[in-house]
Amino acid sequence: MRASVNRPPTPDVGDTQEKQPTLEEIINIKFIESGEKERLMELLRERLIECGWKDEMKALCRAFVKKKGRNNVTVDDLVHLITPKGRASIPDSIKAELLQRIRTFLVSAAL
Amino acid sequence: MSSRIDHHHLPINGQILPQPCSHLVDFRSRNGANPFRALQDCLRVKPPGGHASIRREPNEVPRCGMCGESGGLTRLYACVACAAVHCHAPPGTSHAAVHGESMSPGHEIAVDVDRAELFCCACRDQVYDRDFDAAVVLAQTAASTLHAPSSIVRSPHPENLRKRRRVDYRPWTPDPRERVLMGSCSSPLNATVLDSCSRDFPAGLRGLNNLGNTCFMNSVLQALLHTPPLRNYFLSDRHNRYYCQKKSTVVNNGSKSNAGNPTDSRICLACDMDAMFSAVFSGDRTPYSPAKFLYSWWQHAANLASYEQQDAHEFFISMLDGIHEKVEKDRRKTQSQGNGDCCVAHRVFSGILRSDVMCMACGFTSTTYDPCVDISLDLEPNQGGSAKMVSTKSNHSCNGEADHMNLSQNCGTSTLMGCLDRFTRPERLGSEQKFFCQQCQVRQESLKQMSIRKLPLVSCFHIKRFEHSSIRKMSRKVDRYLQFPFSLDMAPYLSSSILRSRFGNRYFPFDGDEPDASNKLSSEFELFAVVTHTGKLDAGHYVTYLRLSNQWYKCDDAWVTEVNESIVRAAQGYMMFYVQKVLYYKASEKRVVP
Repeated sequence: MRASVNRPPTPDVGDTQEKQPTLEEIINIKFIESGEKERLMELLRERLIECGWKDEMKALCRAFVKKKGRNNVTVDDLVHLITPKGRASIPDSIKAELLQRIRTFLVSAAL
Repeated sequence: MSSRIDHHHLPINGQILPQPCSHLVDFRSRNGANPFRALQDCLRVKPPGGHASIRREPNEVPRCGMCGESGGLTRLYACVACAAVHCHAPPGTSHAAVHGESMSPGHEIAVDVDRAELFCCACRDQVYDRDFDAAVVLAQTAASTLHAPSSIVRSPHPENLRKRRRVDYRPWTPDPRERVLMGSCSSPLNATVLDSCSRDFPAGLRGLNNLGNTCFMNSVLQALLHTPPLRNYFLSDRHNRYYCQKKSTVVNNGSKSNAGNPTDSRICLACDMDAMFSAVFSGDRTPYSPAKFLYSWWQHAANLASYEQQDAHEFFISMLDGIHEKVEKDRRKTQSQGNGDCCVAHRVFSGILRSDVMCMACGFTSTTYDPCVDISLDLEPNQGGSAKMVSTKSNHSCNGEADHMNLSQNCGTSTLMGCLDRFTRPERLGSEQKFFCQQCQVRQESLKQMSIRKLPLVSCFHIKRFEHSSIRKMSRKVDRYLQFPFSLDMAPYLSSSILRSRFGNRYFPFDGDEPDASNKLSSEFELFAVVTHTGKLDAGHYVTYLRLSNQWYKCDDAWVTEVNESIVRAAQGYMMFYVQKVLYYKASEKRVVP
């Protein structure tokens, strides 16, 4: 027995290779290999710019940096600040469009 | 420039780089002249001209070495010292920070694998390094130039490719070498001619003789001769007619086999434009006859070659086409018109329109982008009484743009902004023109909306004053008055604004919010030329009003006169030329000599 009671098992190379990849991981890899992920990311970037979402986030960050002073802000602070607002303000139509694209891809990949 | 510079204290573009953190300084000192050498081979730029990322193999799926996370919700960082990849999920776990601590010192600096940006795991903040950034920019430009042909497949978005940097205007003065070159290669302008005429009129104002019903051509040429980017292009010798002709004869001699039409390849409207610019800006004020140009244009557009009256707008499109075609022929390259970098005509006038067609059953939207050199606008249908129109005419002459909203709604006066609103508003496609929806796989009723994806340097608006009625089988001219502002903000008609209002974002007025400066500036336009038409459909007269140094001039073929701006406001505009405000140098156009 390698794993003791009070110590979590240390994953080693052999372990991870034997482990069956989950469905989510398989899908992720399929998306990357086909280049679809890159295309989706590009589409998303474009849509977020077009609808003004990026400008909004930029403005939020600018206001925050202004308030705190430019030397007292880290990227993590900014990410922490805009993540909830950013997630909430993505237009539904963009989410729908991406979901549609993902569905279409999965159907075509399964065939 | 000195050969080796201290990296972190030099201001770049007026900005002083922040002091690097001690860990980055440490890392640099430990790793010699090129600390990021190993990373350079891992830089990948996926869509050409797109974003840079870090991958050892093109299709590698990076994972956190501790938890196996492949970057769905967290950021992944590769240690620049040992290439180990770890995750970083700010408020929660950071295996990247753990790695940095446990291997300390020397493993604090890491690179974001999806963004190719440097990060210090100890400071938990982004860090900046000029050498690294230079390597990334180099890889990006290399990728965008290498794979240029394949990028045509993607929708064009030139504004994303490079960031605009603003440069202050500085008047040019020749250095000694240029002075010698100018002295030996050019002849000075006739000083007495220049002196006697320059007192009253700004440079380049010269009448154009009517060569037999050619006012349609003269009116457009006057506008083009004073289009700031075009004027700058030709007057700075970017298209030299002597050089161009020499080059084309060499090409012709080289390939005698396809000399079926020897005159055809020698027509170059740009050369004729160059000659015209030289003549018009020579200081000579006697009216000029653009006969050579007319002849070349006739050869280009044989179907329009006659002494009959023509449509000014048709001429405008046809001559831009002529300039464009010549460049295409010379380059023997099939460059899409859409990217606007092909010839001077398209660099100045071409923009990109976006058209969204949304299926009203399922909401699926298909988007297309079309290049355009002008925007043709329908006149608004007459809503109010004409008596009201006359009464309001006097009080809006002071400020056209501030009160356009209520004017266009309350009374019958059509405005250019009203036309643009109509142009960009969602339009329901009727039952007889149902659109095939890709998602429903059947023809559905749909909603179409136009917007402007990319603004040209010079916007030409063409007002559709010629109405064709298919029922009465006849055409007629619409003489209605259209009010146009001297300053125009195009921001409401841009794709970003149109989409924003369609999607209805949940919140945006932030406190202390400043709109993006570069966007704001480039959406502001100034009017500099108006082509007007008087008369009927089949017979009439074109006259151009030009705005130079904030003074209006009326160009009626050979006659150029100073006019009051109220006359311009009252004129019946057929084509309006607006230039981006940043290119409309009011100050530099003022006369230096008192």
